[in-house]
Amino acid sequence: MIRYALTRSALLLLGLFVASALIFFTLRVLPGDVAQLIAGINSTPEQIAAIQQRLGLDQPLPVQYATWIGGILTGDLGESMLTGTPVASELAQKAQVTIPLGLLSMTVAIVIALPFGVLSAIRRGRADGTALNVGAQAVAAVPVVWAGMMLVVVFAVWLGWLPAQGFPRSGWSDPGAALRALLLPAITIGVIEGAMLLRFVRSATLQAVGEDFVRTAAAKGLTRTQALIRHGLPTVGLSIITVLGLQVAGIIVGAVVIEQLFTLPGIGRMLVADVSNRDLLKVQGELLVLTSFVLIVGFLVDLAHRAIDPRQREAE
Amino acid sequence: MLRRTALAAAAMLAAGALLLTACTGSAEPGPSETELTADPDASVGIRLVLEPGNLDIRETAGAALDQILIDNVYQGLVARTPDQEVVPALASDYEISPDGLTYTFTLREGVTFHDGQDLTPEDVVWSLTQVRDDAAYRDSARLAGVTGITAEGQTITLTLGAPDSTLLWNLTGRAGLILKKDDTIDRKTATNGTGPFTLAGWKQGASITFARYDGYWGEPAQVAEVVFSYIPETQAALNGALAGELDVLTGFDANLKDQIEAGGDFALVLGKSTDKGTLAMNSKSGPLSDERVRQAIRQAIDKDAIVEALGAGQTQYGPIPELDPGYEDLSEVAPFDPDAARALLKEADAEDLTLTLTLYNGYGTTVSQILVSNLDDVGITLKVNQVEFPTWINDVYINQDYELSFVLHTESRDFENWANPEYYFTYDNAEVQKLYAESVAAVDPDETADLLAQAARIVSEDMAADWLYNGASVLAVASNVTGVPSVNVNERLNLAQLVKSTE
Repeated sequence: MIRYALTRSALLLLGLFVASALIFFTLRVLPGDVAQLIAGINSTPEQIAAIQQRLGLDQPLPVQYATWIGGILTGDLGESMLTGTPVASELAQKAQVTIPLGLLSMTVAIVIALPFGVLSAIRRGRADGTALNVGAQAVAAVPVVWAGMMLVVVFAVWLGWLPAQGFPRSGWSDPGAALRALLLPAITIGVIEGAMLLRFVRSATLQAVGEDFVRTAAAKGLTRTQALIRHGLPTVGLSIITVLGLQVAGIIVGAVVIEQLFTLPGIGRMLVADVSNRDLLKVQGELLVLTSFVLIVGFLVDLAHRAIDPRQREAE
Repeated sequence: MLRRTALAAAAMLAAGALLLTACTGSAEPGPSETELTADPDASVGIRLVLEPGNLDIRETAGAALDQILIDNVYQGLVARTPDQEVVPALASDYEISPDGLTYTFTLREGVTFHDGQDLTPEDVVWSLTQVRDDAAYRDSARLAGVTGITAEGQTITLTLGAPDSTLLWNLTGRAGLILKKDDTIDRKTATNGTGPFTLAGWKQGASITFARYDGYWGEPAQVAEVVFSYIPETQAALNGALAGELDVLTGFDANLKDQIEAGGDFALVLGKSTDKGTLAMNSKSGPLSDERVRQAIRQAIDKDAIVEALGAGQTQYGPIPELDPGYEDLSEVAPFDPDAARALLKEADAEDLTLTLTLYNGYGTTVSQILVSNLDDVGITLKVNQVEFPTWINDVYINQDYELSFVLHTESRDFENWANPEYYFTYDNAEVQKLYAESVAAVDPDETADLLAQAARIVSEDMAADWLYNGASVLAVASNVTGVPSVNVNERLNLAQLVKSTE
């Protein structure tokens, strides 16, 4: 187990390094730079050059990359080229929207996927099971933007229960208001991610139903459902953890879209704005943090999997 | 003057809104004028489209900054009214010598900056000198002709080497803003001006908040707070307004009139603007270097159809919009005539032409769809290349690597770009440059306008570009809000007269 953890950690570090280089150099392929944007239309080449020099954009790319990585290694994520605000503090601020949004979306997804996924597996071949499965496929295919729009029209514009857009300016100092602002976006992401997750739960459950140990338990006198719940669901749980780990990336992508739609000042919206402002120092810091997050979640899922599943340990 | 005009506009706006409430015949009777009382503690929510990257009024380009910061937070010696007239602001009055070489301003007394410091004549001299001498500052070149900037008592004197008919107007813009001498604030995220509002907060990615400045030298603002919410999606803005979260929507879509007015709480307001929907044509090389091809394109495009599809605005056939000096109806120069366009293309041996239109992806698709279909009618295949704004700046503006480009140029009085052969328009005509220089040097405003009109006619007759429409400022305003400017709001959103009422 320890050897596995060490190898896996080394892989994680290598992954992070490769990611940093990829992020840095692919961003440099984007046409235009922040100095041109600051100078705008009606600018002179001299004006642009002066701003480029002030921002260090006139340095060769490898030098810029080394400066950036040097900063990262000393715990400095850099600062915005436009406002001078440190990337770390910007991320911490926007995370107050995006992390609760992600957790809330994930909760909605699990609340939908687990019971209905198991149910649709147990009721396979019957009308309600089939309806659940088909329904989930349909919902999973719905575009996030459209789903969000519909929810806004019904719950914000018609019923007036929840805000249509925005996040309280006072943030979480009024937790009720903050939560209400996140509810519609979280449901939008959660329902769609939940529908996808449901199908994983369903197939994992179906697989579990066929396992020898579930059949044995049933043979020893449990009903098929009892056997499934007591002995089959732990194995279902395992596959769900893996899938949830993968869905973190999906939820981040969902947040980028949904934060635009609901005008939520989160990491996703900030990222889109920073890319279109060519605030590359900020973008690369943000992307590196997000990538690290996804890689670390994957790392933890692997370790958890190893720790929980006796079959993997024995195989060592 | 500024006050009276804005107030009159506000009153008309209010009347319009009230009329509308009455017309919808909703179950609840709309508030009548006598029941409305201004709420001095009101917070007004205003939707804007584009969030600025930072707040540096000195260095950072973009109308997003001018729109909210000039007049409301920062002020100059002079300001412009919605009717595009120049009026005194931090100067109580001003005088121009008959030879146009000396400008004398009397600085108001009792003006304070938001940090409490007094406005002094030294601040004025310092601010204007800095702009003139630091080429990295926006509009620095606009003060290049000012040879002397001096103060004696409250009298500020600007002296020029040659007359400059654009100077006073330029002083109403970025170049003329007065900041505190040697101020140490970080202008990227903080402000310190003399206007009726202070910057109370900037939640990046969401909103900018202004608060009333109680120490304002003029009549204090009538609302306690203004919250600008940056909402790029028009549909999201509409939903926010219908859910009661916003009071004013700028950059609205006139085609959504019925939806926004359905509940009786909002009215659509249209105002004139200097927004010029400009179709730039790169005449440096390729088929567009042939004037006949450029004329064919102009005659192939149905401008009335564009205005109709946008639901607001008017046609414009030359480089100068109606609000600016030098405007003249140039509709006869290249009228809509697909047959003539086809004939011209044939004559130029440019049939089966394929051209690429490069435009910023924030502009939507209404205009480009009409262009594709109109040009297809005359045998030109138009490829539409929607790009991010930085890509547009890099490819089109700086490298001039484009064939056709569409830009909504919002700046008023920007004819100078047609007299600048380096500009991305790629238009180079010595006669136009000479006429423009003469218009700048002219002392009499009528003469200036006349010279500009002559130059504009040549630009249009040279088929230097096409002007698809003169945009309107499209706003939706809540029925209990008055004093929202309606003219040219992409450039200036002066909120000094803003009032929100309670019943």
